Amino acid sequence: MSDPALLSLAEARSVPPRELLQACRARIEQWQPRINAFVEVEANPRGAGVPLAHKDMFYRAGRVSGCGSKIRREWVANETAVVLERLDAAGFADLGRLNMSEFAYGPTGHNEHFGDCRNPWNPDYITGGSSSGSGAAVAARLVFGALGSDTGGSVRLPAAACGITGLKTTWGRVPLRGAMPLSPSLDTIGPLARSAEDCAILLQAITGDDAVPEKKEIRIAMSSAWIERNAEPEVAAAVLAAAKALDRSPAEVEPPDFDTLSAHCLVVMQAEASAQHAQWMRERPGDYSSAVRARLEAGYAIPASTYLEVLRLRHAALERFCARALGSADLYVLPGIAVRVPTREETGPKGGERMPRMLADLTRLTRWVNYLGVPSLVVPCGFDSRGLPLSLQLVGRPFSEALLLAAGRAYQRETDWHSRVPA
Amino acid sequence: MVKQWSAGVVETLLAAQGIALAPGRAERLARGYQALLEASAVDPLLARLELDAVPTAFVLAMQKCR
Repeated sequence: MSDPALLSLAEARSVPPRELLQACRARIEQWQPRINAFVEVEANPRGAGVPLAHKDMFYRAGRVSGCGSKIRREWVANETAVVLERLDAAGFADLGRLNMSEFAYGPTGHNEHFGDCRNPWNPDYITGGSSSGSGAAVAARLVFGALGSDTGGSVRLPAAACGITGLKTTWGRVPLRGAMPLSPSLDTIGPLARSAEDCAILLQAITGDDAVPEKKEIRIAMSSAWIERNAEPEVAAAVLAAAKALDRSPAEVEPPDFDTLSAHCLVVMQAEASAQHAQWMRERPGDYSSAVRARLEAGYAIPASTYLEVLRLRHAALERFCARALGSADLYVLPGIAVRVPTREETGPKGGERMPRMLADLTRLTRWVNYLGVPSLVVPCGFDSRGLPLSLQLVGRPFSEALLLAAGRAYQRETDWHSRVPA
Repeated sequence: MVKQWSAGVVETLLAAQGIALAPGRAERLARGYQALLEASAVDPLLARLELDAVPTAFVLAMQKCR
C-alpha cells in the first residue's frame, strides 16, 4: 500500500486515523532533522482525525505558545484560539507546534531562538515566513494542512517558496481571538495545504461557511508588461503561462501601485507592531533577535498623523483597486514572489549589503494585498532551473475566497505542480 | 513634502518613549524613515483625502466592494 501521508486531505478522511498518524510520525522522524519544521511534536496529539499542526502562535489553554521568541519560550496560554476550537470541533488532530519567524515579524523563516526552518526542496534555501514551519511541514507531507497568519505575506510567502497552496483570507473574515497579534489592522489567519481543494476544507472548518461552489468561467485581469519588466525571467514565464491556463484572453490592465501601497502597509504594520511590543522593548530589548529588534525600533518615530492618514486612505485605495485593476474581471493575477526563492545565507544576518534589497523584493507583491484587506491565493505554477518552486498569486474582491479557491481548483485540475513531493 | 529626518530627531523621539538604540542605529533608522515616508507620501489619493474620511470607512468599503 502506498504511503497514506501522501494522500490529499480529502482522501485522507476515509483512512483510519491511526494509520494517518503513524504515517505522519514516520515522515516527521525522517524530515524534522533536515527542515526543522516543528518546535514541538505532541506525544499525545489532541483529537483523532486527519493530522494537522499549526504555527506556534495559536494559543491552546494549558500549552506553551512560544511565538518563535525567546521572550515567550515558556509562556503558557490560558485560552484556546477560536480557530483551533473550530478545527477540534471538526474532528482534526493537532500534532504539535510549528516553527515560525520570531513574533511573526520576518519574511524569510530565519529564527535564531529555535533554529532556521529550511526549505524541503533544498535546505540551503529559505522557506519564506513568517509561517515557515507551516509551509515546510505541509510541503514535506508531515501533516495534511496547517494554519498560518498573514500580515504582510506570511501565509503566501511560505506557500510560494515551499510549492504548496496558501490562502490569505479577507481581513475580518476569520476570528483572531487567541492568536498572537502583530498588527491588528492587517492581521489575518489562513490555511496552507497541498491543494486549493484542501484549503477549502480547512477554510470551511474555521469559518463554518458552505463548500466552495464550482465556477465555469473565470475572468482574470493582469499586467503582463509589468510582470515581464519587473519579475525575474523564469518567474515571469511561469506566471504568464499559468494565467493563460486560467483565462485564454485575460484583460490587460494598469497595475496597482504596488510600491506605494506596500509603503502604506509598512507604515501601519510598523506603528502597530511597535506599539504591541513597547513594554518588552523598554524592559528587555536584548531578548529580541537583532533583526526583529531593528524592525520594532522602526515603528516608534512614525508620526501618529501619518499612521492615521494612511488608515483613512485605505477605503479609497480599495475602491480604486476594485474599479481599476479588477474592473469587470473576477481576479487579478500576478506572481507570489517576483524573484526566485533566495538562499538562507543571502537573506540572513550574514547577507551583506544586498540583503535589505532582497527582503524588499521578497515582499514586494504581498504587502499591498494586506493594506487593501482583500483575499489572495497562492498556488504553485512550476519550478525554476535550480529546482525551487515558482508561484502564481490570485487576488480577489473582499470575501471572494470561494471564487479564489474555485479558480485554484480549476488550475490544479489542469496541472500537477501541486502534487509534486520533495524527495 | 516630507521633512528631512535626522539621527538626532529619531534618537530623541525614541528616548522619550524609553526605547534605547544601539550605537549607529539612529542614522540607519533616519534613512529608513525618509525612504518609507517619501514612498507613502507619493500616493495621489492623499491630496484628495476628504475631511470626513475615517479609518472605519474601510469596513463599509469592504462591503461595498464585495
